[in-house]
Amino acid sequence: MSLPEFKLLRPRTVREAVDLLAQHSGNVRVLAGGTDLVPSMRQKLFEPQYVVDIRHISVLNGISPLRDGAVEIGALTSLTAIERSPYLRQHYSVLSEAAGTVASPVLRNMGTIGGNICLDTRCLWYNQSLQWRKSCGFCIKKDGDLCHVAPGGTKCWAAFSGDTPPALLCLNADIEIVSAAAIRRVALGEFYTGDGVAYRKLQSGELVTRVFLPAASADYRGVYRKLRVRGSIDYPLAGVAVVLKRANGHIADARVALTAVNPAPLLVTGATAALLGNVLDEALAEAVGDMAAKTAKPLTTSALTPEYRREMIRVFTKRALLAAAN
Amino acid sequence: MSDFSIIGKPIAMVDAAGKTTGAGKYTDDLSVAGMLYGKILHSPHPHARIVRVDTSRAAKLPGVVAVVTGKDAPNPYGILPVGHDERAMALDKVRYVGDNVACVAAETEFIAEQALELIDVEYEVLPAYFDPEESMKAQSDFIHDNKPQNIEKDYHHVFGDPDKAFTEADYVAEARFIAQEVTHAAMEPHSTLASFEIDSQTGKPGRLTVWSSTQVPYYLQHKLSLVLEMPMSQIRVIKPLVGGGFGGKSEVIPLEIIAAVAARAAQKPVKITYTREEVFLAHRGRPRTIVDLKTGVKNDGSITAVKARVIQDGGAYCSYGVVTILYSGALLGALYDIPNIQYDGYRVLTNKPVCGAMRGHGTVNVRFAFESQLDEIALQLKMDSAEIRRRNLLKAPCITVNGLRVQSYGLPECIAQVVTRSQWNERKGKLPKSRGLGIACSHYVSGAANSIIRSDMPHSTVNIKIDRDGGIVVYTGASDIGQGSDTMVAQIAAEVLGCSMARVKVIAADTDLTPIDIGSYSSRVTFMNGNATLRAAQDVKKQIATAAARKMDCTLDDLIFRDDVVVNKRAPVAATPANGSQPTVVHAEASVSGRVEGQILRGSLQQKRKDEGPKARLSFEEAVVAAIDFHGALSGTGSYAPPPEARGGKHKGAGVGPSPAYSYSAQVAEVSVDEETGEVTVHKVWASHDCGRALNPTSVEGQIIGSVWMGMGQALTEEMVWKDGLLMNPGLLEYRSPSSVESPVVEAIIVESVDPEGPFGAKEASEGSLAATIPAIANAIYDAVGIRLRESPFTPERVLSALRAKKKQKHINLTEGVDPTAPTTFREHGGSLCFKGKGPERHALDPARREAQVATGGAD
Amino acid sequence: MKKELIELRVNGRTYELAIESSKLLLDVLRQDLDLTGSKRGCDESSCGACTVLVDGIPMLSCALLAASCEGQEITTVEGVSEHGSLAAIQKAYGDWGGSQCGFCTPGFMMTVKHLIAENDEPTDADIRAALSGNLCRCTGYEQMYQAIKSAIDAERRGSGVAQ
Repeated sequence: MSLPEFKLLRPRTVREAVDLLAQHSGNVRVLAGGTDLVPSMRQKLFEPQYVVDIRHISVLNGISPLRDGAVEIGALTSLTAIERSPYLRQHYSVLSEAAGTVASPVLRNMGTIGGNICLDTRCLWYNQSLQWRKSCGFCIKKDGDLCHVAPGGTKCWAAFSGDTPPALLCLNADIEIVSAAAIRRVALGEFYTGDGVAYRKLQSGELVTRVFLPAASADYRGVYRKLRVRGSIDYPLAGVAVVLKRANGHIADARVALTAVNPAPLLVTGATAALLGNVLDEALAEAVGDMAAKTAKPLTTSALTPEYRREMIRVFTKRALLAAAN
Repeated sequence: MSDFSIIGKPIAMVDAAGKTTGAGKYTDDLSVAGMLYGKILHSPHPHARIVRVDTSRAAKLPGVVAVVTGKDAPNPYGILPVGHDERAMALDKVRYVGDNVACVAAETEFIAEQALELIDVEYEVLPAYFDPEESMKAQSDFIHDNKPQNIEKDYHHVFGDPDKAFTEADYVAEARFIAQEVTHAAMEPHSTLASFEIDSQTGKPGRLTVWSSTQVPYYLQHKLSLVLEMPMSQIRVIKPLVGGGFGGKSEVIPLEIIAAVAARAAQKPVKITYTREEVFLAHRGRPRTIVDLKTGVKNDGSITAVKARVIQDGGAYCSYGVVTILYSGALLGALYDIPNIQYDGYRVLTNKPVCGAMRGHGTVNVRFAFESQLDEIALQLKMDSAEIRRRNLLKAPCITVNGLRVQSYGLPECIAQVVTRSQWNERKGKLPKSRGLGIACSHYVSGAANSIIRSDMPHSTVNIKIDRDGGIVVYTGASDIGQGSDTMVAQIAAEVLGCSMARVKVIAADTDLTPIDIGSYSSRVTFMNGNATLRAAQDVKKQIATAAARKMDCTLDDLIFRDDVVVNKRAPVAATPANGSQPTVVHAEASVSGRVEGQILRGSLQQKRKDEGPKARLSFEEAVVAAIDFHGALSGTGSYAPPPEARGGKHKGAGVGPSPAYSYSAQVAEVSVDEETGEVTVHKVWASHDCGRALNPTSVEGQIIGSVWMGMGQALTEEMVWKDGLLMNPGLLEYRSPSSVESPVVEAIIVESVDPEGPFGAKEASEGSLAATIPAIANAIYDAVGIRLRESPFTPERVLSALRAKKKQKHINLTEGVDPTAPTTFREHGGSLCFKGKGPERHALDPARREAQVATGGAD
Repeated sequence: MKKELIELRVNGRTYELAIESSKLLLDVLRQDLDLTGSKRGCDESSCGACTVLVDGIPMLSCALLAASCEGQEITTVEGVSEHGSLAAIQKAYGDWGGSQCGFCTPGFMMTVKHLIAENDEPTDADIRAALSGNLCRCTGYEQMYQAIKSAIDAERRGSGVAQ
């Protein structure tokens, strides 16, 4: 399966990159690690005329602890670097853990944190070759008007399948978005739309450049649990990130977020309130697991049945909470 | 064993360095001048009549050299003489999503892909059949007109008196088992390069050379001849390195024919390499199998009768199907002593990619059912599950009730080994909660005693050439696909001729150079090609010995060939007897004289030797030179055909199942189950395998481990998932071949029963272990958590669903999202993946699909 | 599409190439440089058969564009053997049965080369984790573990002798 033909543009600075994006707006894709975009282009899911290769914008690569205890992570920082960073492992362990479960070692060497945040939503009816998609008459996300997962509906349910965003949501992360006209900073929770097609609020010409972890989120106990069939390579079929902080044995703060069971990574609303001020025991963990399961809306976008994946959200949430409290 | 100098030694494969350096060439690594790239247009419909194919727009695209369709090569072919139902490309009908419609040969892959979009095909969509039990009920629109009810073939065998035996049984177990479809997923996608050369006499394209990733070069040559209407002598098939087969390259795969048809039309060499998705569509894997199994036993555990009804979802063409369904019945025999057998087998056509032969061909899914049921029976009888297997051993040598001749039978030792190594008796039933042990056995043929194409032709022939340089060249048709047959052949030749491996060069699998071998399948190569090599080496050795004996003034029986020397064991001056006490010295001497021998000193040395009178020993080169001087030329040949006694009974279908020898395996698996998630972890598998004799223990262990591991994949993670005939997981991301992290430790234990007819006693090692792994894991899961899984793979949701059912906890719906109007059998497909959609009957009438097709057809 | 002139460093050698900037590194290695050791095993960047080292780090050449690698040092399996002889890991894979059909082997060579460079005393778990991005369909991985350990031993002995 060959790539569509396009012109590769290789900016060395963010300025050059966003200028190029503005110049070719509507007909351009951004290439970072390539692990999502390149196979998708081979499947003709994207056929841009221009590809802006940002791999060599070195200023976007690196993990920088700031003076106030916050951390700035360049969007091009590899998932391996995040997995292995002693600083992140110590202070933001849920992120390192989640990064360490992405795909396989070689893909983590290539994949970037920015790419994992911007990961295209996935569905078995979508992530297929052109020839394959012809056989099913295409789907609502690409070239068609029918959703095979929820026929009759007009919404795309392709699942957001990044591992690090639920961890970042738990950490109240912000992201920096740059365009030729402006620089803006948004809470990651505001970035996703919940729709499988226009899954993120990124305007044409915009580039995600940095991730910020606030000082207030440092040093939480964190756990990420991922449902996969194989111990490596697989995308998550369900994922739960949990952070919590205790004071005198009681939960002082906690957050629970999910991935791979909705078109966006989501914080479990109500989980924090339910946990706050309580001592975590099995019953409480189970109750929060039930809340998480209600937040999850898995459909037949992925391997394993929706009901099983929802059940695992319940079990993994419980387990992650108990592990984090331990 | 110590009698051997090469056999039984762990020797690196002769082609290992080429593989580890990247220098070794696989088909897709080859290119020739002017080569074009071929791309195939596949059907988007599971079942449709082709109304019209218009290639004119594609042909006009700059860079396109030729576009071919079914009309360019209409002759039917198929791997079995009874199953010539395939064509290079579809003529009138397409029968599965992925069926071959046309091929473009163009200057680049990109242009060829672009051109595919310009081929206009008008289809008339027909009702399609996706489930074998539904397919068998069909009244019209048969997949092949000459196969009513879409039954490719059915067999009904009765041996002994099973009905009576069931009434005499103390306990009868009966259940339905289902094994979902799996595929080979060899790492190398299929690739073929076809090139015609211009004939010097006619000035027109003449001989055809095909390089292809095949396990069966000879069959490929034969089928190309049929389809292209060329004499076989004008076709040369060369097998470069092959990146794994497992049966997926053991018949002629569409691209192999299409590349040649395209090359003929383009008058340029054409290479086609499948995408990974196309590999899945070409398939030929293990069919989804429904096994209704009934076993009767006495209270002492002895089996009185077995009744099996097997339905295989064969896909759209015959392929090896008739053989698969026969193996499923025949291999009920030859593992245990079963006096009464009833077998009803149905090979059914469906509108899906074609199933064929896959590692453990035919036996695996039935063995899963059988060994699982035997475990259930042992539990009922309160008998140890290793013991019930011991109670049913054959008394070899024997001929089974269904006509299989068993000579060497290492199963008792296999069972004893795994019971000891796993500490079965000490640990069974005493493991921590949710952890368990399971045992199962299996067996396989060492090649089929009857070849696919009925003739008196030997199944293997090997030639050996030795020239004055003392170098040995073995010409074998055996196809090394990574299992190490080139190394096996070299080892046997070196052992027989008493020389070092460095002397032996293997030329393999090139139909111009190497004599016919019918291919690498049915685990036949070590036994059959090994025997042919042995005979060829003995032939040439005898010629050398005749000359050497003259020179050494002794009889042939006095001579020992070992460590690159020929020694007269009766000569008083023989200071270095054949025990090899000074092998390094001898070797150095030999190679020095070899170098001298090849050069100008040869004549004077020979003169000198003549003057010296009889010698007690000759270097290998001296012996060779003597032989060439004496005979004029030195070459040997050997062939192998299975003996008539091994060829089985007389009933219809008796040809499949008989083998000159059977391998045996016993396995214990240790697993744990997460009772909250249903996830199964296989910690360790102890696998013993009776391979007769391990010619190369490293290779044998590698084959055992690989088989067990592949069985584990089928048991836990691998499954082809379908929706309306569409394969939902046609790639290595969603078809989950296990990675290193979840792969268990496998302890391979070699058992050597030394078969009377195998080369040095060897039997097969590459397939027999696979089948036992699946039931061993199923039985271990039962031991761990008390659930009996009758459907593979044992995905976490199936396990959890069964656990919840057992504990009467919240039900897990495995068919969620499946249209309730779809037939229940279709819903069974669900398992791991179920999709909201239409049942098969409604598929063709779905207006949404129709419109979408019109829309896409009209676009562009 | 118009070709561009790029400079690619592969196995210590600099190549000037005129290629489309949309060409995969894997295709450039195999088609333009005839370095066919790196294999294409899948089309969705999940099997690892095309693994090469980019500035010493294992990456998939099927998910990289050649033009994007300009200025980086690429090592393929053809660059692993040392002074015309097999590297310890290559020899060990042959001796211990780490390679059967060999199609995945070049990818494993690169992954293992990096593993050993990073960690000369890997545990079983380290080895399994490191290899988990490369699929093999023949070996069940088991004999590779022995090969890797023996290669590490051989290298240690080798460097001991050299000192």
